[in-house]
Order: sequence, then C-alpha cells, then structure tokens
Amino acid sequence: MEEEVESIEMNTSSARRAYTLRNNVARQVAVNFMPSRQIAHNTLRLRRVNSEHNALLDALVDAPDAADAQADIIVREMEQHQSLMEDNPVSEELRREALRDLPQCLTMKRNVRAKLSASVSLRSKRRPISFLKRLKYRISFAWKRTRDKFRDFIFSIELWYEAIRNIEGHLGSAVGSYFHLLRWLFGLNLLLTTFLLCFVVVPQALHDQAGNGTTELGALDFISGRGGLEHTLLFYGHYHDAEIASPGPLRYYMPFAYFYTMFCLYLMFFAVLCYRTAYSYRRNFIEPSGGTGALSQLLAAKLFCGWDFGIASPAGAALAAHALYLEFKELLNEQNRKKMITSAWVRVWQRLANVLVTVLALAIIAGILYGLWLLLAVEELTENREIYISLAITAVVSLCPVLLHFIVKLEYYEARTAFYVTLARTWLLDIGILVILLIYWSRSDDECWETRVGQEGYRLVILDVLVSLLLIPTVELVRGMLFKWKVLEAAPEFDITYNSLTLIYNQSVLWLGMLFSPLLVVAVTAKFLLLFYVKRESALRMCHTGKKVWRAAQTQTVLYMLVTLSLFTMLFAIGSVFLRSSSVSCGPFRQYEHVFAIVSEGLLQLSRHHTLRAVLHFIVRPGPIAFVLLGLCVCVYIMRARAAAQRSMAAILRQMLRLQAKDKDFLLNAIEKVSNGEWLYSPKAEEYGEDSHTWKYLNEVRKPSNAGFHFDGSRLSHSFLERPKSYVKENRPTSYHTERPKSLEDGDTDSSFSWQGSSSYLNQKGEAEEKR
Amino acid sequence: MGNKVVTFTEQQLEDYQDCTFFTRKEILRVFKRFREVNPELVPKRMTENQAHTIAVPVEEIEKLPELKENPFKRRICQVFSHDGSGNLTFEDFLDMMSVFSEAAPRDIKAWYAFRIYDLDDDMYIGREDLLEATRLLTKGELHQQERDDIVTSVLDEADVDGDGRLSFMDFEHVVVRAPDFLSTFHIRV
Repeated sequence: MEEEVESIEMNTSSARRAYTLRNNVARQVAVNFMPSRQIAHNTLRLRRVNSEHNALLDALVDAPDAADAQADIIVREMEQHQSLMEDNPVSEELRREALRDLPQCLTMKRNVRAKLSASVSLRSKRRPISFLKRLKYRISFAWKRTRDKFRDFIFSIELWYEAIRNIEGHLGSAVGSYFHLLRWLFGLNLLLTTFLLCFVVVPQALHDQAGNGTTELGALDFISGRGGLEHTLLFYGHYHDAEIASPGPLRYYMPFAYFYTMFCLYLMFFAVLCYRTAYSYRRNFIEPSGGTGALSQLLAAKLFCGWDFGIASPAGAALAAHALYLEFKELLNEQNRKKMITSAWVRVWQRLANVLVTVLALAIIAGILYGLWLLLAVEELTENREIYISLAITAVVSLCPVLLHFIVKLEYYEARTAFYVTLARTWLLDIGILVILLIYWSRSDDECWETRVGQEGYRLVILDVLVSLLLIPTVELVRGMLFKWKVLEAAPEFDITYNSLTLIYNQSVLWLGMLFSPLLVVAVTAKFLLLFYVKRESALRMCHTGKKVWRAAQTQTVLYMLVTLSLFTMLFAIGSVFLRSSSVSCGPFRQYEHVFAIVSEGLLQLSRHHTLRAVLHFIVRPGPIAFVLLGLCVCVYIMRARAAAQRSMAAILRQMLRLQAKDKDFLLNAIEKVSNGEWLYSPKAEEYGEDSHTWKYLNEVRKPSNAGFHFDGSRLSHSFLERPKSYVKENRPTSYHTERPKSLEDGDTDSSFSWQGSSSYLNQKGEAEEKR
Repeated sequence: MGNKVVTFTEQQLEDYQDCTFFTRKEILRVFKRFREVNPELVPKRMTENQAHTIAVPVEEIEKLPELKENPFKRRICQVFSHDGSGNLTFEDFLDMMSVFSEAAPRDIKAWYAFRIYDLDDDMYIGREDLLEATRLLTKGELHQQERDDIVTSVLDEADVDGDGRLSFMDFEHVVVRAPDFLSTFHIRV
C-alpha cells in the first residue's frame, strides 16, 4: 500500500490530475448524498452544479460515448428537483434558468435540453388546472414575452453602439461608462422631447397659426432670450390659457394639457431614475459587500479583476499593462511599509483640519451664492445685465470644480473619500445656484417671472454650449498638441468626473427649465447629441487612459444618485415655489388663482364636493403631516437597524461558512482515503504532532479498541461509475451497509459506518500500547 | 424580416435563446463576427450539425479584435473549446460570448474566470498559475522577486483552507466581493 501511495505522488501532473480526479470522484459521490443536495430548491435560481460535479463528468471524458453519458448525468441530477420537472410555464422558466446557469458548453446544453424535455413530457400528468391558475400562467407568460420583445426592441435601436465599443477598446470601461451615461441621458431627453412636442408645443403652434404675430429679433436676443424671443413658443408666458380650437369634436384644454404633461413627465422620470439608482446601488455596493477598505483582498482582486477584457487596441493594452504594473508596485509598497502609528494628537489635528476646510469650502459656496443674489438684485447695470450674470454663473460653474479639487488637497482624506467630497461640494454649488435663481425671480416683482426663469435656463444652456462644446475641446486640443510636440510632460487624460459633472449640471438646468420653457428640452437634447461626437473625437485623439482607475462601477452609482437627487431637489423647489402662485398676466394658468387650483378645481372640483375638500384640508394640515413624517423616520430607523444587524449576521455566517468548508474538506479527505483503501494507521506516534487533527481523531474518536475492521475491496468507490441508475432514494447509504457483529469494545462511531480499514494498524497499535 | 437570408432555423434560434443570455439579434450578430474570422470555412447558413462540427482554428480566433490584446487569449479559447485544443465551433463561440456578455450572472462568470486562470487545468489555481498570470498581465514588467511577493500575498489573502492553492470556492469568495469584476470580465460583441 505504501509503495502505491508513494509512486502516485511522484508522477507527473497528468497522473496527479488523474489522482485528483479519482479522489474527486469519490468525494463527489460522498457529496451527492449530503442532505443539502437532496432538497428541492424553490428559488428561481437553481443552485449551480459546482466544480466537484464537473469532476465526475470529467472522469468520463475518455469513455466512448462521453457526451451522451455526461448529458445523462446532468439530466439525472436535474430530475431530482421536483419543481423543475413539472409541465407548467413556471417550471419551464425554472428549467430555462437552470440551463443557462449550467457551466457546460453549448452543445452539451442543447443535448441536456432535448433530454430534459423528453423526460418532462414522459412524466407529465395531465391534470386540469383551475381557471385562476391558468389565468396567472397566461399573464406571467405574456408579461415575459412582452419583456423579451421590449429588450429586443431597445437593443435594435443600438444608437452609437459601435462608437462606444471603440472607445472602450481604446480607453477602458471607465471612460466607456461616461459615454453610457451620456447616451442614457440623451435617450431620456429624447423621450421628454417627444412627449412635450406632441402634447404641448404642437397644439400651441397650431393655435398660433390661427392668430397673427410679428416677431422682430435683435442680435443679442438669441443669447438673452429677451426681446423678440420672449413671446414665442420658447417660453411659458406665451402659452394659451384656454381651449385650443380644434377641427374635430374633441376639445383640447391647454392648461390641463400643460400641467398634466409636465406633472406626469416629472414623476415618470423620477421613478425611472430612482429605480436605476437603486439597481445600480444594489449591484455595485451591496452585493460585493465586505472588503472595501481593507488592504487584504485588494491584491487578489487586482490580480483577478484587474484586466479589462474589453480593451481591443494595442496602445490601450500597453497602457493597461503599465497601469497594472504601477498598481501592483504600489500595493506591494504599501504592504511592505510599516504602518504609521498616528498618535491621538495627530488624529485630532487631522479631524480638526478636515472640519475647518469643510467649513471653508461651505463658506466659499455660500459666498458665491450670496454674491449671485446681490448681483441679481443690482438694478442699474446695463441692459444686457442678464447676459453678464449668466456668463458669470457659467464661469463659476466651470471653474469651481478645479478650485474645490485644490481645496480638498488640504484635507486629510483618502483618495476615494476626497473624490466623493469634491463631487458632493460641486454638486451642492450647482444646485444652489439654480435654486437661488428660481427664488430670486419668483420673489421679484416682475410681471411674468416664470418666463424670466425660463430665460435664465435658456441662457445657461446656450452659454454652456460655448464652454463645453467650444472652449474645453480647444483647450484639450492644444494640450494634446503640446504633448505631441513634447512641450508638456503629462499626457492629457480624459477627466471622467469633470465631464460627468457637466452632464449632471446640464441635466439639472433642464429639470429646472423644462417647466418654464418647453422647448429647452429640444435644445438640451441637440446639445447632448453634439457633445457625444465632440467628446468622442477628443477622447480618441487626445487622451490617454487615466493612470488610476477608481472603481468605475461605484462611481457610476454615485453619478446616478446625483442625477436623481438633482431631480428631487428641483421638484421640491418648483413644487414649493410654483404651485402656490400664479402670474395674472401670462402663462396657461392665468385664470386660476394658484396653479394648484388646476387639480383642486379642475380635476377634483373641490368647490362642489365639500366633504372631499374637508378631508383634504385636514390631511394637509401640519399635524397629520408631522405624524406621517414621524412614521417615515421610524420606518427608516428600523430598516437601518435591521440592515446593520443583517450585515453583522452576514459576516458571522461568512466566517462560519469558511470554517464549515474546512470541516467538510477534512471529512471528505478522510472519506476518500478510507474508501480508496489508503487509510493507513501508522503505529508511530511521532509521525503525527500532538495537535494534528489526525492524531486527535485517532485517539479520541476512533478509540483504538474498535475492532473488527476488514478491508473490503469490492466496496471501492470506483464501482459506482458503472452503475447507470440515478441516485435517488433507493440508493441511500444504507444500501451498502453490511451486517457486522457488534463487539463490546466498539466506540460510539460505529453505529452507522461501514468503513472498514485495514486491520494491521490496530494490531500494531495494540502492541505499541502494550509495550508502553 | 423581408428577404434576408435565414441563417438559422427557428428551432435553432429558440434553442440558443434558451441556453444563452442572448436575444435573437445578438445571436445573429455573434454569428456575423464568427463568420468574419474565416468566411471560407464558415458557411452562410448553419445547419444544426455544422454548428457544432465546423471548428475555426485557434490562431485565427486569436486575431479577433476582442481577443487580440487579451493576455489570456489562448487559455480562453482552450477553456471554451469542446476538445480543449482551442479550436472553436460556432456553438463554443456563442457560449463564450454569452458568458462574457452583460447579462451573465456573477457566479457563471466566476466559474469561467476560475477555469481561465487555472492555466494548468488541474481545477486549482496553484502557485505556478498565479506566477504566470502576473507575468502575462503586466507583460513581463515585474521582476521575479516582486512576482513572488505578489503571489505569496495573494495566497495569504485568499487561501482559506490553507493548502497552498486556490480552490474554486476560495476564488469565488475573492471575486464575488470585487465590485469591478462584472465590468471588467465583459466583452461587448
């Protein structure tokens, strides 16, 4: 026996593989009977066949009818799960999921699918199902089909698909994610445009045709939005406030149309954004939970997930390899460097510095906002003061990220935290500016303040075109050329954060301005279209990948979150400012004393339904609202507490899993050895250390007094391979128990085992004990 | 569909849709890419039999732009081929693209990633596998000593059961917790 063992260990890797496989086969057989494998799973995601099962399949590779036999094994494994084998659409769906999750080649999967369908049709018992169930199946089926069709449709549009793929190939997937965001926002805006055009702009245009209007456009009017453009379709003030004459019998009531279109669009996109953010958050933050901060696992993660498989150009690949090299070196250095022991005083100082700089940054932001307010309030400047103000705003918005980037360097944050902090502050500044504009104009005594806000939005978008479509690409072009002529050292990089912030800023302006200037959507959509091509050229020609690729997936989630927050803030601001007032002289809501009256009077007709009005009045009072808010806060607190508890539970369970894995490994190794007849009881005590598992096991569990062990060769696990029957309940472990006379000296472990090792050990052990 | 040439039968397309993570359009696009590798070898219409018998040699598959710059291209082809040699039939190629697509779930990708990194094919990622992987990833820029350090650290971090090599469970444990895994292990067709 010993020679056999030794000769196996000295063989080449192929024989080692055969040895491993043989052990794996024995192991697989033992594993198959574990209770965890016998439960039928009700979840839609069937537990995957894992590597040990594949060992069983691999062992058949040399057999003549290999593919078929392997397919048979898989089908038999799947047949054990009852929920898969039924003949209804739910089971079909489960089968499809199970098929997709099989880690086998496609040919095998088709084989398995054919066999499975045959097996199912054999087994199906035609039972009449109730009407409700049939209805449920039909609905779920139809829903699934429409979802697939929708997916197909969205995919067939594939706008810019090749272009983005090209960019990803050159610059990596982080930059690609910026372009994905751009494309997604563009699609969103396109939808907005369609709806607005159909429901709001076109009816108004038709109405305008009936009347007559003369517009004279001055030179600067295009930028300022005043003058000739003021009374056009562009702005809120122009919209009609009553019915629009229509040729047919249906009546088109403009105020309703305007209000409800806007309302529905805002809410719909809020819902879509929330869903998208939540999905992204779950995928990128919650699922890979755990080691985000610890250095451990970083190196392994870098090794296994560091290479972006989407890179397709030689230059990109060389850069990526170099970037990986640098990151490896950095990680190694961090490991080798001794941890700096920061005393308590240093930490206090660092915290203090952080707080001070945060206050400074917030003060800067507040100062800018206040300055803007004063600027707006100054009355006696030139006529084009609006343009100047908008120019100032645009300059501030473009330059502030750079300023904040420098400020954050004064603080003691890690790189990622610094990045998030800068992002948050820039976003705060942008949103603050927009809210200030809204508040200022709504409180001014202007006749038609809504149009003013619309004009502000229009101006901001136009001026930002100058910056982002002309100025910045020129700067990048110049930098690229300087780099090429070897004047500059550093290659210009594609700054994902700056560009993403531009996108978010534009989108926020759109959210603000959409209500007051319906055609602004068209402008922003066109702008995004141009932005795509400009950025693509600039990215491909000038830029190289950033040296540091920061967790692109998590950055994506943060950006989506910012877009959602922008929309939420805008909704809140607009809701609180706009709904309560109404300009008497302009806009589609002229007749109503406040805009909200459209809902209360127009839809609900509250002046007639007194009880409804009383109920609504009651609900809107501070008392019930405070109560609802309190309830929500309590819910949030409970959910947070639960999340924290579950997180710690998950950590405990993970630790337990690891320990169980070790246990299972130990036990399976023992089983393999025994079933292969290699369980050698060496009589020498010093071969095992005092604390080795084997020694403890032998001495404490398998008491040497267990007698009656005989090696039974016919019970070797290899014979299992020849049995074609499926491993169902008849073939439980009990079937290959033999009757064995129980002797008095048996230990506790013998009741259900029939493992029979060699008897030589025990005799030797007994002798060794006697000798002592 | 008009008067387009029908590349696959309806049954084939349904089969493929059920067994992979692709829609119809994507499957046809994958076929187009496959055909571009060697238009003489691959016919315009694929019968059922041809789909898993006609194999494109591995040297030509490696010239595909998606795979050309990948340091593990040879191993990828070997993993997905039906006979381990690297020559891919259409069904193998479809399978490969399906695993690398965006819709494939994390655990499927983890399984295939494990097989790809297991360069000597013994169901464990051992020391030599890791050394070779570091060499391929950085295109030979790291010194021998640095590579040894990296591999030792990785084994320390990830090897749970302490046998000096990574089993699939160890590997999955590391990779599932990395937030970037899904986005890097992704080839767009």
